Amino acid sequence: MRKGIVQLVAIGVVIGIAVTLVAVLFQWLPTSNSEEFDRIQDIYWFATVMSIVIFSLVAAVVVFSVWKWRVQPDDDAEGPPIHGNTGLEIVWTAVPAILVIALGIVSAFVLSENGKASDNSLQVTAIGQQFAWKFQYPEYGDVESGELVLPVGKQAQFTMEAVDVLHSFWVPQFGQKMDAVPGIETHVYVTPKHVGEYAVVCAELCGLGHATMRAKARVVTQAEFDKWIEEQRA
Amino acid sequence: MTATHPEQDVQQYPAHFEPPHGSTWKLVFGPGLIRGAWMALLGFGLGTALVCLLRSWWGWDPVWNTEVVLVVGAMVFAPIFFLAGIGSFDYWLYYISGRPTVAEDHSGHGARSWRDYFRVNTDHKVIGIQYLVTTFVFFTVGGLMAMLFRAELAQPGLQFVDSQTFNGLVSVHATLMIFLFIIPAFAGLANFAVPLMLGAPDMAFPRLNALSFWLLPIAGTMFVASFLAPGGAFGAGWTGYAPLSEGQPLGQTFFNMGVQWAGASSIMTALNFLVTIITMRAPGMTFWRMPLLVWANFTTSLLVVLATPFIAGSQFFVMFDRIMHTSFFVPENGGYVLGYQHIFWFYSHPAVYIMMLPGFGIVSEVISSMSRKPIFGYRLMALSLLGILVLGFSVWAHHMFVAGMADWLRVPMMITTLLIAIPTGIKVFSWIATLWRGRIHLTTPMLFALGFVTMFVIGGLSGIYLGSVPIDIAASDTYFIVAHIHYVLFGGSVFTIYAGVYYWFPKMTGRMYSEKLGKWHFWLTFVSFNATFFPMHYVGLRGMPRRVFDYDEAFGDLNLFISIASFVLGASFVVFVYNMVTSWARGPIAEANPWHARTLEWQVSSPPPIFNFDEIPQVVGGPYEYGVPGAQHAILSPTKQAEAEEVHA
Repeated sequence: MRKGIVQLVAIGVVIGIAVTLVAVLFQWLPTSNSEEFDRIQDIYWFATVMSIVIFSLVAAVVVFSVWKWRVQPDDDAEGPPIHGNTGLEIVWTAVPAILVIALGIVSAFVLSENGKASDNSLQVTAIGQQFAWKFQYPEYGDVESGELVLPVGKQAQFTMEAVDVLHSFWVPQFGQKMDAVPGIETHVYVTPKHVGEYAVVCAELCGLGHATMRAKARVVTQAEFDKWIEEQRA
Repeated sequence: MTATHPEQDVQQYPAHFEPPHGSTWKLVFGPGLIRGAWMALLGFGLGTALVCLLRSWWGWDPVWNTEVVLVVGAMVFAPIFFLAGIGSFDYWLYYISGRPTVAEDHSGHGARSWRDYFRVNTDHKVIGIQYLVTTFVFFTVGGLMAMLFRAELAQPGLQFVDSQTFNGLVSVHATLMIFLFIIPAFAGLANFAVPLMLGAPDMAFPRLNALSFWLLPIAGTMFVASFLAPGGAFGAGWTGYAPLSEGQPLGQTFFNMGVQWAGASSIMTALNFLVTIITMRAPGMTFWRMPLLVWANFTTSLLVVLATPFIAGSQFFVMFDRIMHTSFFVPENGGYVLGYQHIFWFYSHPAVYIMMLPGFGIVSEVISSMSRKPIFGYRLMALSLLGILVLGFSVWAHHMFVAGMADWLRVPMMITTLLIAIPTGIKVFSWIATLWRGRIHLTTPMLFALGFVTMFVIGGLSGIYLGSVPIDIAASDTYFIVAHIHYVLFGGSVFTIYAGVYYWFPKMTGRMYSEKLGKWHFWLTFVSFNATFFPMHYVGLRGMPRRVFDYDEAFGDLNLFISIASFVLGASFVVFVYNMVTSWARGPIAEANPWHARTLEWQVSSPPPIFNFDEIPQVVGGPYEYGVPGAQHAILSPTKQAEAEEVHA
């Protein structure tokens, strides 16, 4: 049996390496451009390591058992009458419990961190309407724009409104998402880290033009932002 | 013991049903599909007349309102009259009107020709097959829709269909797969297997059982017919979120009402299972001796009974807002938009378990018999089902982490969601422990069961990502979700349905399927399934939202690959259908117990006698006692055995 365990572990390691390669060789996540998404990516990797271990374990036992104990169709013998093993059952109840609770605690911290209002902030009202976005900057009078312009390094505090049906504000590189709901206001914070151009994508099915409901998002330096605001007010 | 041949049972009941093809009168006015058809038309006419009369009486203008006429005439009156026409209510109507009824009238029982599958039949085995064939028809329709929109998605931009048709295809695809395939296919397998496994002659309420089957084609026809409605099929997704669904064209009403019929079918079946399992277990069949498939359907039925009324409510509210000018979800009049999502998911999250727990049961049966080993940790397996049942009602709002609901709800819902990983993990580990040191027979059902275990683990793990609120905020409403649900519902549920169909095929038909074609089917499905759905995780995380006909050009190549893989997946289904049809027609005659299984359905002939057992069996032990010398699950002829023992004494 000792030889069998070695073989099982070997299969598990091979599967584990293969899955790890899949996880690291492809760039699964967009390059983060917000402090919020950085934190989310940390939990993503926590969950990924956990997943690689669990998947490799299960797949290894399945592959090993079939390889080792497969019999011919005419085999009439029966397996050993093993009805259970209390110790083992406690282990595989307790270990996953600890893992998911750990993930839950980390996630709750990140969620609370991502929801903290900063003093260095900019108010933006995002209004969804079939099938376009409008952005207002209430701190700068009646500035309204079809493109989203944000200064780098400053927390943008979004207030979402919807005119007709549900929409969802999403910039994949910001990692934050929030529905715009008719009748209520919703909120989300994004703190961009560097300048760049992105797309605001509507992520909630909103009708015929849902797929094309996009807006441009630009992260610029504070100076450029001030200049842009001046132009808009003029 | 020898099982009674079906024909002998027939002779015991001389008052047997005469097929109505004797005279024209009977053909037109006897219960059956022809009477069903003209009565449905009659019902539609009556409903329409009622609506127009009442509207003109009260001075409503215009008198003709297509949506109201459709709801009342086509979706309420016509189906009820159709059901009356095929004879679903005959017995009850005789009883109500004081005409003589025979409680022991078995005229609607059993199948002696293919015609018997096209009428109201009260035999749970016939109903099980009716369910399965019907659900696979809708599986085909839903699958073809998926291939149509995959063709559209092979390139960015709009090529083949217009935007409303695309949204309609996506919505109807999901609706058919959920309400007309996965949920009822499990109900069909359980209908066939559960009474046999319990040692019962039939379900507790055979007429109700027949009625619940016939509600299904009605619901399915409504969903598919919505494509004929002016403005196209319902296109607000299978989730039908308000307010979008309230502003949709007429087709939305077909969804609102179709769900009522499918839901009523589910609830009736679930009640039937609950009463059957609680009251019709053979002597000695304690709860702790029930096979896990029975346990799984027991918990599933509790979920169905408690949860399904909520989706019925949510769809009624949308319909009331549409045609009765109520304001459940109209914010301008004080309606509460998020209320729709709370009510909808209060059903639709437990529905995920309704679509998975019966599969857990099937896989437990298959893995135990194909490994010739007792289920590892049987009691914990049953208890973990109950754990999922209880936790399943406390997690609905994890579908709403980005919906704008009360912030404080997120963390508790995340914790309960993650906790579900514990009972689910117990099940996965117990299955692989059952394999350990078994005598593994790698037959087609076993391949699908093992394929299920590995694929379901992937779906479960992506579920853990989504359970974590911050990751969900990034991944919600993207193709990552599409990948996750297909790993759970295709790699999970559909694989177990395939496992169950292959496993019970010899018992249902009395013939053996082709093992070679079965293996081809498995490997083609397994590879193309992964090729189709695994890359969706990637495009989703990278920024492709779900339910779009157009997308960023950067995802073009991968989407083309996904579309091609999905066509292979579609082709693999043809192998399955060919195998089923040819094997049913002329496959080799099956043994009573080809898998050496211990549960009761395998101890009678294939196919089983009309009333399942000559004598109610006496259960004396657990259902999976492989390798235990002298262990028995049940004694099939208790009186004969007792007589024999008396003679010896």
